[in-house]
Amino acid sequence: MSARNNRASIRDALYEAPGPRTRRRMHVATAVSAVLVLMGIAAIVRQFYVTGQLAPRYWSFLTRPTTWAFLLQGFRGTVSVALVAGAIALVLGLLLMLGRMSSIRALSAACRGVIDFFRGVPSLLLIYFFFLVVPQYGIKLSSFWMITLPVALAASGVLAEVLRAGVNAVPAGQVEAARSIGMRPAQIMRTVILPQAVHFVIPSLISQLVVVVKDTTVAYVVSYPDLMQNARVLITNYDALVSMYLTVALVYILLNYAINKLSGIVARRMGVTIVR
Amino acid sequence: MTQHTEQDTPVIELRHVDKHFGDLHVLRDINLSVARGEVLVVIGPSGSGKSTMCRTINRLETIDSGEVLIEGVPLPEEGRELAAMRAELGMVFQSFNLFAHKTILENVTLGPIEVLGQDRASAEKTARELLARVGVAEQADKVPAQLSGGQQQRVAIARSLAMRPKAMMFDEPTSALDPEMINEVLDVMVELARGGMTMVVVTHEMGFARRVADRVVFMADGRIVEEGTPDEFFDHPKTDRAREFLDSIKGH
Amino acid sequence: MGLVELLSTYGQDYATALFTTWWMTAVSFAVVMVLSVGITVLRVCPLRPLRAVGDLYVQVFRNIPGVALLIIVVYALPNLRVVLDYRTCVIVTTVLMGSAFGSENFMSGINTIGVGQIEAARSIGLRFSQIMSRIVIPQALRSAVLPMTNLLIAVMLTTSLGSQVPLSPQELTGIVSYINTRATGGILAFLIAALGYVGTAAVIGLVGNRIDRKVRILR
Repeated sequence: MSARNNRASIRDALYEAPGPRTRRRMHVATAVSAVLVLMGIAAIVRQFYVTGQLAPRYWSFLTRPTTWAFLLQGFRGTVSVALVAGAIALVLGLLLMLGRMSSIRALSAACRGVIDFFRGVPSLLLIYFFFLVVPQYGIKLSSFWMITLPVALAASGVLAEVLRAGVNAVPAGQVEAARSIGMRPAQIMRTVILPQAVHFVIPSLISQLVVVVKDTTVAYVVSYPDLMQNARVLITNYDALVSMYLTVALVYILLNYAINKLSGIVARRMGVTIVR
Repeated sequence: MTQHTEQDTPVIELRHVDKHFGDLHVLRDINLSVARGEVLVVIGPSGSGKSTMCRTINRLETIDSGEVLIEGVPLPEEGRELAAMRAELGMVFQSFNLFAHKTILENVTLGPIEVLGQDRASAEKTARELLARVGVAEQADKVPAQLSGGQQQRVAIARSLAMRPKAMMFDEPTSALDPEMINEVLDVMVELARGGMTMVVVTHEMGFARRVADRVVFMADGRIVEEGTPDEFFDHPKTDRAREFLDSIKGH
Repeated sequence: MGLVELLSTYGQDYATALFTTWWMTAVSFAVVMVLSVGITVLRVCPLRPLRAVGDLYVQVFRNIPGVALLIIVVYALPNLRVVLDYRTCVIVTTVLMGSAFGSENFMSGINTIGVGQIEAARSIGLRFSQIMSRIVIPQALRSAVLPMTNLLIAVMLTTSLGSQVPLSPQELTGIVSYINTRATGGILAFLIAALGYVGTAAVIGLVGNRIDRKVRILR
């Protein structure tokens, strides 16, 4: 029944099917650990209680539709920055990847330099570049672009590498076959390699969206009204800091969890692995 | 009461063994005994439960009911006792399962050093002898990925032999091999059989079964359907199920 | 401002900032490694409640944006009577996020081993502790080298969160915003800091690759 074993996760495979003695010990240990976990949760809840953070005035604003309308507005801001930045990063990443894989040495080296640069620099530094440095040269950007462009640049380096992994996953025999029927290199790249490469990395591209979403949260630096910025505005109105930040954090966590899940499902459907 | 001598206690005995995977009844009332020095070949269509049965002998698969006895002693269910019993039974897998991060020599010496408490020098000496015996002495310092499948499987056999097992189980040892490598592994197994090793071999290699087996067991749908000497079984199968199976493989 | 002027005015600040970034990275990464091991132990242990805690930890901290976590640590925790100084806040944030990814790296290291080797180890009579110490942990560690190298770089980039709180001395991203709000440092002010990050990442990558080549397990 090797098929069954292959499907079993390795963390279960580390342990044998328990014998009677082990099973008894496991029951006890599981009960003890459950109690410990519950005590941990209780301690946290208690800390909220004794500091007065469970008071209704800190949480009641969550029942107001206006709160959610305002947060939803911010959420839309987050989504539009993430999607536009993601799209720009995809195009840019594709160009950088093509450049990096080009047979022209200088171009390849330059693109590699750019990729390594964007991968090796914190996105916050890029944001400060667009926020503080770009205006010094007389270029006026709206707050949307001041957050979207740096996020896109930061992601483009990673996407270029993801796409390159996809290209490398296309079997070499296909290139030879295409060449043998007289196709030119650019043609082969466009019609044979790229479609397959993109297919291989679709789940990875989806999971990279998580990084983009995370990067958008510094939009408050440039005062762009995203979810986080709107939450900060609400906090000044309601004096409900802990509950507000925890709520917003939860929204981000669920959003990114959903993106990761989607990526995993797509990967399984398409039978490909996720490159990070 | 009959006095059992050490000689006639079966090395491996399964009594009324049953096992389910969920709704699937994979082993149905399996009764089997393997005598010292006997070579038992288990054949049957895929999904017949033959691999599962083989794996119950050292409890890589648990059983729902029945008994597994090793030299008349019930197979321990857990802990040190189970580990000690496993150390006395060799197991060779379809996919070799060599330790990827260790050299060939280390693969063979790990058990003797860790389990049997041998010192490194003597473990290595024995290991080199065993590797020479299975014909991969020159590969001792390589890692598994640098060897062909046939070589890896021979190392896996040497790894089992290093524990000086009372019996060895082979779970489809040649099924993952390219055709040209099958014989190099089978040759080693034939040598072992000639040397008097007690063996349970799950295989599709009918030639090997005919040549080496003392007894053939035919399994289908989780049951032992038929057993007998190779000549009886291959030339005069008693059941329709066995006849069908033999016809289906003769087709190729 | 030209390069010479920039460096003569702020050279010392840049150097201090780079060292601060390195120091925060090193401290964070050391704690990340320890915590990653701990979280991974929880996640592979046979007790369901502890597994659930480990899995939840990873899902929370790999999905939360760094800034959101930092803000919670800096502004929300004091309301729960957990008060940390700013630098500790940044390190705690970096460590929480980093250890979630670190545990993922260890988990995938364990996953590459395969059930077969564990069954083989069991078959030659190795006990659980021996299987862990001789087969599972060595392989998981060796195949985690490259992902952990990338994690070290990610940890360094995460310490740039320090620019969001008052730090003294500042780290490398904070110094850029400091200089640019006081003077028009232009693109140079930004590039010097960027070079510090990219250069460090390149060195980390180089060393990581070299170690990986030495310990990589052929499969």
